[in-house]
Amino acid sequence: MKKLIEAIIFTSNKPVTIKELKYYFKDFETKELRSVLKELINDWENVEHGFNLVEVSNGYQLRTKSEYSDEIINFNKEIKKFRISKASLEVLAITAYKQPLTRLEIEQIRGVDCSGVINQLLDKRLLEIRGRKEVPGKPFLYGTTDDFLETFNLKSIKDLPTLQEIEDMEPELKLDF
Amino acid sequence: MSNMEQLELPYQVKLQVFEGPLDLLLQLIKKNKVDIYDIPISKITEQYLEYLDVIKKCNLEVVGDYLALAAQLSLIKSRMLLPQIPTEEESEDPRAELVQLLLEYERYKNAAEELESRDILGKEVFIRGLSYFDEFGEAAQETEIVKTDLWSLVDAFKEVCNRKQFELAEDIVFTVESFSIEEKTTELIEFFKTNDKYNFRNIFNKMVTKAEIVITFLTILELVKNNIIGIKHENPEDEVELFYIGDENFE
Repeated sequence: MKKLIEAIIFTSNKPVTIKELKYYFKDFETKELRSVLKELINDWENVEHGFNLVEVSNGYQLRTKSEYSDEIINFNKEIKKFRISKASLEVLAITAYKQPLTRLEIEQIRGVDCSGVINQLLDKRLLEIRGRKEVPGKPFLYGTTDDFLETFNLKSIKDLPTLQEIEDMEPELKLDF
Repeated sequence: MSNMEQLELPYQVKLQVFEGPLDLLLQLIKKNKVDIYDIPISKITEQYLEYLDVIKKCNLEVVGDYLALAAQLSLIKSRMLLPQIPTEEESEDPRAELVQLLLEYERYKNAAEELESRDILGKEVFIRGLSYFDEFGEAAQETEIVKTDLWSLVDAFKEVCNRKQFELAEDIVFTVESFSIEEKTTELIEFFKTNDKYNFRNIFNKMVTKAEIVITFLTILELVKNNIIGIKHENPEDEVELFYIGDENFE
């Protein structure tokens, strides 16, 4: 079964979730599946390979090791390097920690108009509309997507370090102006 | 292409250094190495206004965002100059509200940098097959032809209209306008047969009258509808491109 799960993950272009695996391997407990996946992660880590099995976006995915990024981009001209602006990153960070929230709430923190950035992020499917806020004007509420988790290598939204942790662990960031 | 870039230049001036008024203020505080809880308002306001002058010269669109904070800074400055009337309650520092805003913004600015430092998919790490975000890539082209919505085409059309300088007197020529969709269709099909990919804007380069531009635009819509040409628009920042598919199905 371990090899089969590996093959399933290999062929999928989206992270394969425990839920999906559970649906197929009905006779196995979630716990068993998890331990098999853990073994697989360890297997890949312990051998010299160009990629890892990574837990991301509530699932499991094979990803190349980060040290090869430049060579991969140089080799495959069809790959378009993912680019993102500082403004987009700020909007994503605010949304990730405070979701769901409205455009106005994002703008109050950033102090600038964010409608263009939000639209771009919706296009890229990094943000999604979660509903409307029950206040006058019923503005949209925004939240982050599974694609956001995949893009930023996060297991789940809870995998984000807390704002306090960021403040504590990276004092050099704050001095780096 | 160079022609087009020239035209776009006046709109592209963007201050990349600051993400907004709070960012500017935060950077001024760092630069002056002052305590965020004890900002020398007079000095910082002065420097802020200097930057504002530069921003005014460069980019009119964002200046409003910066002006609001400038007003707030001036207000705080004047409040600080007023003698404090002793009251029973502890009188609040006029800067307190601003400090809270700055600290809040700084937290998310750091969080954004944290996000950026992660192993980003499509930048540091990759998955099998083509790049993750290249959903408009060559492989997908065969199955899905229109990879954009109507609005990006309309937007591009609007830009073409704005770009054309109709108001110049010498450009106004009185002629009988005889453009029809049928004629344009034949013309465009011939054109696309010889050019496998063409920038949407450049099609309109040599056209002078509004009628011709409108007819051409309608023809393009018609051709797209009949699967004779396809539209490609990869990123919101990119140009809309048109490409030839085939006219076998066309009568």
